[in-house]
Amino acid sequence: MKKRTFRVVLCIAIVLFTVNSLLFVLDGYGASEEIDSKFGESPVIDGYIDLQSDEWVKATKKEIFLEDLPIKCWVIQNDENLYISLQIELESGYHNTTEFIGIIISNSSSEDKENFKDAKIIQFSNISANQFTYFDYYINNSVFSIDNENNGNGVAKMEGYTSVYEFSIPIKNDTNSGEDVALNFGDSYAFNITYGDTTSYPNGIKKSTIVLINLESVPSSLPTLSNVFLYVSCIVIFSVLGILYGFYIYKIFKLKEKIRRIKR
Amino acid sequence: MSKIPKQKKNEQKLKKKSKSDENFAFRSVIVSAIFGGIFFVISLFFNTEIITIFLNRGTFWTFIDILIKVITILLFFLFMITSIGNYKELIGKPLNWKELLLVFLFSIGQTILNVWVFIFTLFGLVLLLIYLYIIQEF
Repeated sequence: MKKRTFRVVLCIAIVLFTVNSLLFVLDGYGASEEIDSKFGESPVIDGYIDLQSDEWVKATKKEIFLEDLPIKCWVIQNDENLYISLQIELESGYHNTTEFIGIIISNSSSEDKENFKDAKIIQFSNISANQFTYFDYYINNSVFSIDNENNGNGVAKMEGYTSVYEFSIPIKNDTNSGEDVALNFGDSYAFNITYGDTTSYPNGIKKSTIVLINLESVPSSLPTLSNVFLYVSCIVIFSVLGILYGFYIYKIFKLKEKIRRIKR
Repeated sequence: MSKIPKQKKNEQKLKKKSKSDENFAFRSVIVSAIFGGIFFVISLFFNTEIITIFLNRGTFWTFIDILIKVITILLFFLFMITSIGNYKELIGKPLNWKELLLVFLFSIGQTILNVWVFIFTLFGLVLLLIYLYIIQEF
């Protein structure tokens, strides 16, 4: 009898665990990648990766998968913006004329659907003519509403078989109107990277994946002891050198007077 | 036949030549010191990072920044050594190793904020010293 009871309890527990897990998966998206953003030189958001000027050279680079679609994801930040470059390489004819890439941002590291409040979308209207529009939406109960004021920037360019999408998203934006997620230094945020081919959101989203981006903290503004020592030494060296130079010029003029006196 | 004896004429010629050499040496002392001073000021602006226009703009501009810093220090060293060398010659003393070491140390001291500038300057200064040593020998 006891054995039977134990089996029943065990079965119920397994069923409950499975159902809960399924509900959890359906409710959230589930992060597939974690990216540590690093400080670096800010790239020019023009849809073009200029290798000659070492653009994006310090970015954290990862390949992520939007289900079966591989995408190159580069992330870098400075003390104002978070920069994300997404590159999709498809064979000729596979790029949709009205494809888009969207970044849906959670207000925390939470991957629950209701926490994704902000969306930045670059929508091509004609990919072969490189015609696109950058949209900034806020999300309320899965309804996408356009922001009164565009926050951040996004540019896309199609080159060869690769479409390059570049985003800049402000960090610690003091003028945040509440329509955007306020990103803070040192915090982690879930970013839902989405791909679609129609101008309808969220219905047009065909593929998506979540990445967790860890923003780097602002470097301390206080100089280290070794830096202070170096700067003080530098000032001392240049000051002493300046004084010695002045003394040397004085000696030259003294010598001139001496020579003049000897000549007389 | 000349009324001035030949020996006196030679002496006068020698005196004139020595005077001209002296003037040339003195001018060289002043001109080299002025150039040394100009490069010292340029070095001051770049090596203390008062001017940072080339910083954080990519590898190429960083290289240009390092190049300017190194060249100004090397030219400062070259002109100051020339000036001090001629000054010492005018007062009748040779340039000794202490003065050379002092200028060398103050030149290398200017590179304190950048390790790459330090490495290239050290290399350049060693080359300059070898060059100066070789031309002294000939």
